[in-house]
Amino acid sequence: MAVITITSRPGCQGGEIAARLAGHLGFMLVDKTSFAQLSGEIDLDEAGLREVDEAISKGELQIDPETEACVRLLQDLMAQLAEEQDLVIVDRSAQGLFRDRPGTLHVRLVAPRMYRVRQAKNSERLSGREAGRFIKNLETRHARYLRFLYGLNLADPDLYDLTLRMDRLSIEQALRLIEAAIDGMDLGQVPRESIVKDLLPQMAEKRENGRFANVAETEFARFLRFYNIPFEYEPRTFTLETDAGGRITEAFTPDFYLLEQDLYIELTTMKQSLVTRKNRKVRKLRRLYPDINIRIFYQRDFYNLMAKYGLLQGR
Amino acid sequence: MNAGRGQESAVEVLITREAVERRIDEMGKEIAAAYRDCLPLLVGVLKGCAIFMSDLVKKIEIPLEMDFISVMSYVGVQSPGGAARITKDLDTVIEGRDVLLVEGIVDTGMTAGYILRNLQARGPRSLRVCTLLDKEVRRIVRIPISFRGFNIPDKFVVGYGLDYRQLYRNLPYVGVLKDEMIGLDRS
Repeated sequence: MAVITITSRPGCQGGEIAARLAGHLGFMLVDKTSFAQLSGEIDLDEAGLREVDEAISKGELQIDPETEACVRLLQDLMAQLAEEQDLVIVDRSAQGLFRDRPGTLHVRLVAPRMYRVRQAKNSERLSGREAGRFIKNLETRHARYLRFLYGLNLADPDLYDLTLRMDRLSIEQALRLIEAAIDGMDLGQVPRESIVKDLLPQMAEKRENGRFANVAETEFARFLRFYNIPFEYEPRTFTLETDAGGRITEAFTPDFYLLEQDLYIELTTMKQSLVTRKNRKVRKLRRLYPDINIRIFYQRDFYNLMAKYGLLQGR
Repeated sequence: MNAGRGQESAVEVLITREAVERRIDEMGKEIAAAYRDCLPLLVGVLKGCAIFMSDLVKKIEIPLEMDFISVMSYVGVQSPGGAARITKDLDTVIEGRDVLLVEGIVDTGMTAGYILRNLQARGPRSLRVCTLLDKEVRRIVRIPISFRGFNIPDKFVVGYGLDYRQLYRNLPYVGVLKDEMIGLDRS
């Protein structure tokens, strides 16, 4: 069982190598596309993901709490995926998340700047100048992500088990070398639980509670208990769509059910503008189950509640 | 408009003093009509009700009694025992009485719901709710409101008895506190 991380300097064909490697090994590929789908799990749509990426890549000294929560939740989701299956992950600071873990191989793809600019020019259909800017921006973003999340230097050679110069290797040769390393390190023999052991409890949103998925849910449950309002946590999953065979293809499980109010509450720590996926699900639920009362509690609702009791730090 | 309390720069007027006074005058008449055949007991929920209740009772031109109740506020993880409790109970036995609970504002309905459940258990003949402000858009716990001053938008309001960290209660109008004062500018 294994997790392979591919950290590619822009223009080193990391995406293609990762995709082909995942195909050869039968591992799940976590790349740009699947990461966008993954971010949907925390109600972050593509625009939201872009916003988060931009906030980090601007290198702002103060990242707002919501952006930080998103970034850390995405790492949390990658760790959860590794709990369930073998992965090939492209970038996204995965080498920091799985650093020094058994059952992991960290690959770094490098090449001289001229080679990378040429590659970027062709693959992104850019001018030479644009390609130069493109690879610089992308690398800056990767470096800032890794530093922000784990305080690590992207260029630190100690982070990588295998470094390949892509201007001297074909993709096939690179794949063969990576697969030889996987075999040589007996990664397939490592039990999956040891890859992720103690990894999830380190994540910010899971640290203090075993039951609720995030800090907002924990606080909200505490609040309900304080006022003696009976509730159940995620008591029911509503089917939203089934395929021709009757298998459930889309479902929704609201966070809380307030028994006396006969009211479901879905909490989100995201801004209302970013919660398009959850909004859509709730609209669908209302249409399919008109007798069900449900309310989304947005980030601002939650902050309002905290502010009412003076629990936010005002001026 | 105000007595120069030095707090106004952080607050934007939502409901003027004159509008509040006009509405309280009307509410007084509505309540007097509803309770004309009995002796109501007005129970104010401290401290948010203080200014509203003192102005309201002067406009209810029938005999009435007054009492007050106070519930410990939620203070997050530091809430002692993790559960709400009454910190100032009624001095009056309410069994068989016509009780009108007077609130400065009903927001999520958590506090009002807690008090209503508590009072209901004491067997009053009737139990109704009067509030100056109703932030219905944020309701979680259903509260049947019989007398409502104003339905207000989802803004953090202070003044006319309502506070933020015990300040602003003495503003003679209802105002919206700027987001940055309460940390909401982060959202």
